[in-house]
Amino acid sequence: MSSKYQICTNCIMDTSDPTITFDSRGFCDYCRNFHSKILPNWHPNEQGVREITPLIDKIKFEGKGRLHDCLIGISGGLDSSYVSYVAKEKFGLRPLMFHCDTGWNSDLGVTNIQKIIDGMGLDLVTEVVNWEEMKDLQRAFFLSGVSFIDTPQDLALFSAIYNFAAKNNFKYVITGGNNSTECVRESLAWTYFSTDTIQVRDIHKKFGSRPLKTFPMCDILKYKIYYRAIKGVRVIKLLDSVNFIKKEAIRELSEKFGWQPYPQKHYESRFTRFYESFWTPTKFGYDKRRAYFSSEVLTGQMSRDEALVKISSPELSAETMAQEFEYVATKLGWSVDKLKSILRAENKTFRNYKNNLFLITLGAKISNLVGLENRVFR
Amino acid sequence: MITIIDYGLGNVKAFLNVFKRLNIVAGVARTPSELNCSRKLILPGVGSYDCAMELLRRSGMREVLDELVLGRSIPVLGVCVGMQILACSSEEGQSVGLGWIDGQVRKFDIASSRQLAPLPHMGWNDVWPVVQSPLFVGLEQDARFYFLHSYFFQCMQSDYVLAQADYGSAFTCAVNKANIYGVQFHPEKSHHYGARLLKNFAEL
Amino acid sequence: MLRPRIIPCLLISDKGLVKTVGFTSPKYVGDPINAVKIFNEKEVDELMVLDIDATVYGHEPDYRLIEKLAAESRMPLCYGGGIKTTEQAKTIIGLGVEKVAISSAAIANIGLISRISEQVGSQSVVMVLDVRHKRRGTYEVWTHNAKVNTGLAPAELVSELQHFGVGEFVVNSIDHDGLMNGYDLVLAGQIREATNLPMTVMGGAGSLRDIGELIRRFGIIGAGVGSLFVFKGIYKAVLINYPSSEEKDRLIRDYFPAS
Repeated sequence: MSSKYQICTNCIMDTSDPTITFDSRGFCDYCRNFHSKILPNWHPNEQGVREITPLIDKIKFEGKGRLHDCLIGISGGLDSSYVSYVAKEKFGLRPLMFHCDTGWNSDLGVTNIQKIIDGMGLDLVTEVVNWEEMKDLQRAFFLSGVSFIDTPQDLALFSAIYNFAAKNNFKYVITGGNNSTECVRESLAWTYFSTDTIQVRDIHKKFGSRPLKTFPMCDILKYKIYYRAIKGVRVIKLLDSVNFIKKEAIRELSEKFGWQPYPQKHYESRFTRFYESFWTPTKFGYDKRRAYFSSEVLTGQMSRDEALVKISSPELSAETMAQEFEYVATKLGWSVDKLKSILRAENKTFRNYKNNLFLITLGAKISNLVGLENRVFR
Repeated sequence: MITIIDYGLGNVKAFLNVFKRLNIVAGVARTPSELNCSRKLILPGVGSYDCAMELLRRSGMREVLDELVLGRSIPVLGVCVGMQILACSSEEGQSVGLGWIDGQVRKFDIASSRQLAPLPHMGWNDVWPVVQSPLFVGLEQDARFYFLHSYFFQCMQSDYVLAQADYGSAFTCAVNKANIYGVQFHPEKSHHYGARLLKNFAEL
Repeated sequence: MLRPRIIPCLLISDKGLVKTVGFTSPKYVGDPINAVKIFNEKEVDELMVLDIDATVYGHEPDYRLIEKLAAESRMPLCYGGGIKTTEQAKTIIGLGVEKVAISSAAIANIGLISRISEQVGSQSVVMVLDVRHKRRGTYEVWTHNAKVNTGLAPAELVSELQHFGVGEFVVNSIDHDGLMNGYDLVLAGQIREATNLPMTVMGGAGSLRDIGELIRRFGIIGAGVGSLFVFKGIYKAVLINYPSSEEKDRLIRDYFPAS
């Protein structure tokens, strides 16, 4: 296996993803997948609107007599804020907004949610995850040495909304997931499925100290088999049907609602901000922004040169990062020194713990075959 | 280094937190020897005038402070009661003050005020500087701070008045004589306004 | 001009933030430190944090939590719950808290107020009275999280206590708690008559207009707010909010009594 550094000549994904492959032009497999699998099936234009219209009409029809016809998860971030706007103002849907509070909301995130809710007169429900349980699970993940310490938050966000949807008979869940800024996903070398609850429970068993009594947990199989196949919950990535250009979307939301942009994707959560800006680059040597910027390069929102310039410097100053480090340590009940020692401890991967990768991969392969999932997801 | 004088009164931690957030090096002095590296001093205080003077006397730092402030002209910022003890005396108590700025501390005369003005004066109030000063850079137009007091500083000379606020009538809420500054309000608890003032002080 | 204070009031139970209705049915609302951090960033006037378990279960104040909350606050912080001794009050002030709130312990032993006041200064002593309507404009003070009826009339109690070194009174309506249908202005009026000391009214704020009405009636007053700044909408979604500085200025412009 070559340890030589190589960077894609088309986007900026590089060998910090050790599973990356390049063709003779130097194009990485994310780019090839984008051109061969995603682009042919993605119509963010009039055609996309035409294609989705029957589904929108169906949602409206089935929602008659109910206060709301669909459910939308809102985090305060750009994607979920914009999809709420698209769903209500452009498609005329009547969504119930759902927010899962994992204890790390930033003031900007909370303010932006309020602006969207107030700006469009939307109804909101929230699930507040018990902080002591979230803290315990997050601590366990830090102590386990794996890179994907955002799993407790991810799992809670995912589970909370789908549990709510199933329980309250919402068949249609609209998410802000999109190709425009997410067509390049991270490999399993960087992350792992947050919905592999076998892994989550094993890490918690080994490093946690209090039982998870109320923590929202829905594993991927329950989701795919019970919620989707049996209860018929459908997930709709509405932003893929419209022309979602990041800069334009920010401008529209700012003008209409006073929505304020974040320095980086996922900054509505202080934990995610810390994890992506500091923890993963420092401890594991990869920068998730590479995937975000590469997605924008592929979708023509950023030039490759721009992306290279942006990736070469951190989003936040060293002083801000030091303050955030202390904030995170204190919030998790640790001293700064303790968190530093965890930072220096041995790196582990998902393979060091029990996992359900086989079944999940099998499920994904089947999804790919029937066209449900087109991104490269290794 | 900015030194916060810890003589037993005042929210020392709050000052440290503000300076930390501003990335300004700050420390605490509890004994005379710890005052040695001070380039600037903060003299905090809550509570009563007599209590403050007594605690300062007991701390043993009084003499060194006189030397640093009067002898070596080290900038000092007195806050709340820490500002009041800069004066010569106070209607609140018996003690003789530091006398670093000629003046007396008086009680608000609520009987003669224009409107109902309960004591203590508690809450956010507007502050307006009456002269240009490096302490109020960026705060000339829109400045509000948190107040919590029943007495105010009355300067012997109007030259020493740096800023005023209104409670029943206008009163002096900030003073300055050479290297000596005092503010009646709590910059350590006044959000970005206070942080700006403390930053200005640090940059004098 | 001195402004009326708009003060979020947070209740802590079992290390978590809760909201109650009529002092019962606590609903979990999240992590107190994150809430304080957000309120801090929203530049709230002041913050009050009350531990509703401490007195009932006889706990010591949670000093570690208090220290963390104080470190996050760049505005005055008042902490209450289970404070029974001067030592506890001093320790809490030493952790960076501006004011300590006392209630049942002071009612049981009035001398405690003066002793604490002598140590930390009266400006740092807040007396909290939880009050239930009895009948026809009469009220009674309750303690231990609205479980024990003292039988005392709040206005009379305030008249007496104000001479013992209290810096501020907080009058909290148990009946209006969590209902978000307005303050008990009759109760507030009675307390205002009884003392000239600073006062904060709590219980029932459901809109900025309710806060406005309080300001219109009393001018310089503290408006204690619980549910309104924590919940949003008909489903009571948990979303921390606070009026912007423009909204606050407008509120005061529209409601503050002209002199």
